[in-house]
Amino acid sequence: MNRQSDAALVRQVLAGDSGAYGELVARYRDRLGRYAMRMLGNEADAEEAVQDAFVRGYRSLHRCTEPERFGAWLFAIMVNRCRTLGAQRARRQHRVVHNEDILARAAVGDTAERHAWRETLAWALRQITPAHREAFLLKHVEELSYEEMVEVTGASVPALKMRVMRAREELRRLLTEVERV
Amino acid sequence: MSEHDDWLAQAVEILREPVRLDPALDRRVMAEIERGPAPGRPGWLGLLRRPFGGQLALTSPLGGLALAAAVALGVLVGRTWLAPPGTEPPSAIGTMAASGAEAVQFVIVVPGATSVVLVGDFNDWSRTATPMRPTAGDGVWAVTVPLEAGRYRYAFLIDGTRWLTDPSAPRSLDDDFGPPNSVVTVGAT
Amino acid sequence: MRRIIRCTITLVGAVTVGSASTHAQEPRLRGRIPEPARQTIDLLLDSARARGLPTEPLVDRALEGATKGAAGDRIVAAVRRLTGELETARAVLGDASAADELIAGASALRAGADPDALAELRRSRPAQSLTVAASVLADLVAVGVPVDTAVSAVLTLATAAEDADYIAFRRNVERDVALGASPVAALGVRLDAVAEVDFGTGAGRTATAPRKP
Repeated sequence: MNRQSDAALVRQVLAGDSGAYGELVARYRDRLGRYAMRMLGNEADAEEAVQDAFVRGYRSLHRCTEPERFGAWLFAIMVNRCRTLGAQRARRQHRVVHNEDILARAAVGDTAERHAWRETLAWALRQITPAHREAFLLKHVEELSYEEMVEVTGASVPALKMRVMRAREELRRLLTEVERV
Repeated sequence: MSEHDDWLAQAVEILREPVRLDPALDRRVMAEIERGPAPGRPGWLGLLRRPFGGQLALTSPLGGLALAAAVALGVLVGRTWLAPPGTEPPSAIGTMAASGAEAVQFVIVVPGATSVVLVGDFNDWSRTATPMRPTAGDGVWAVTVPLEAGRYRYAFLIDGTRWLTDPSAPRSLDDDFGPPNSVVTVGAT
Repeated sequence: MRRIIRCTITLVGAVTVGSASTHAQEPRLRGRIPEPARQTIDLLLDSARARGLPTEPLVDRALEGATKGAAGDRIVAAVRRLTGELETARAVLGDASAADELIAGASALRAGADPDALAELRRSRPAQSLTVAASVLADLVAVGVPVDTAVSAVLTLATAAEDADYIAFRRNVERDVALGASPVAALGVRLDAVAEVDFGTGAGRTATAPRKP
């Protein structure tokens, strides 16, 4: 069975076949979910952000001027939704998230050591500023080039490099401190 | 491998692990989009601002891509055709040496149009003074106008009858006569 | 350049045609604006000229109405309204303001900006043109930013931003909004970026460290 390209699916949706959007949702839910989870730190917010990004992506699909790059375009919306939601959550007194369910799911088959490392890493990510966290995730986890990061964030390359560097330094310091406790 | 790379590699490996979201998320997304308007259909309030009634021939640069309005086409050109490094439509693309005015290029895509005229504060709102030229086929129309520093309102007149705003420029809020306008602001050089 | 030429023509017209009993006639309106609306607009232009207001934007507004087929009384109303906005803009921006500043200021007022906000903008940028800053204010409102928020952003940038910075700022906000961000959120993020201040949420800083792995 031939897998339809993103661009073909986008065209179908724009031609009125909203069901074709379901295939795009299926294709990108995991990537978006991972980023939202790492960025926002808890499942409820991540799912809200992902759902919101997909719906906004659909409503403004006519503005996706390069359908063959739908994934990148949608990801930019996702990054924005995480910023907005993250800022809203922060204004409402940040709640310390410790989602055992997520940890349990992710940790299936893990050793205790790996489970603990995952927990520590999630904690360290929450300590750094959202701007640094965003830059770090886009660079090292999503593997975007700096040019792509400019497109997504609107920040300059030097600013992004600085954020990534600071994020790495902070994470290393935090992880090292925990090791020493 | 350095100690630095070591912790980073381990961290990245963990962070790249897939995250499983609620399986019902897809259904919720699809249910929500079915409840709302289709792409590019902003509801009745937005429809009041649409430049004209969707009579575009779909021979766009994207081939068969269905477009709800000329807006999407304009944005497409703004990004793929007009925007060399450092410029965006409508944008100052150079300085007119003699006058100190900026050369501002305007571009719009209207497939199937037989004439497109740029009409605005800079040409006495003349229906004839600044005709746009078809460029590169596929309904792309362009013209370059020297503008001094200032804020100018403008619109495109299609086939002498239909008004169209520039999808790549801010919308004017001080429209007193119905068909909306776009705005270009030229800074002092 | 074109505006300067047209202003000159208008001034020459005022001098040569004007007298105690006849008012200056704007030649570009003849044949395009129906009578008696044209005469009323000429009177409005005379009045504006006498008060030192720029008449070019008023002529532009009238010609726009004519081109779009508006009725005479509607054109007159639009010119009258814009005259008031230009006058308010000049009152708060100062008599020495350039015509383009007043035009942009009038747009900001139409967008809902308080005259006091424009006055503050002038105080913040005493030596620079306010054309772009005021214009960007109106543009931000046009993309959905609440006017008070837009005013606050433009004032925040006022002391340090060049015209190009304002235009880049507006462009970035518009892009974010097009990508799905709320106008307020987009504005906030872009302001943070300009100020080189991180998002400032300080998320999780009070969290305690987990146990040692």
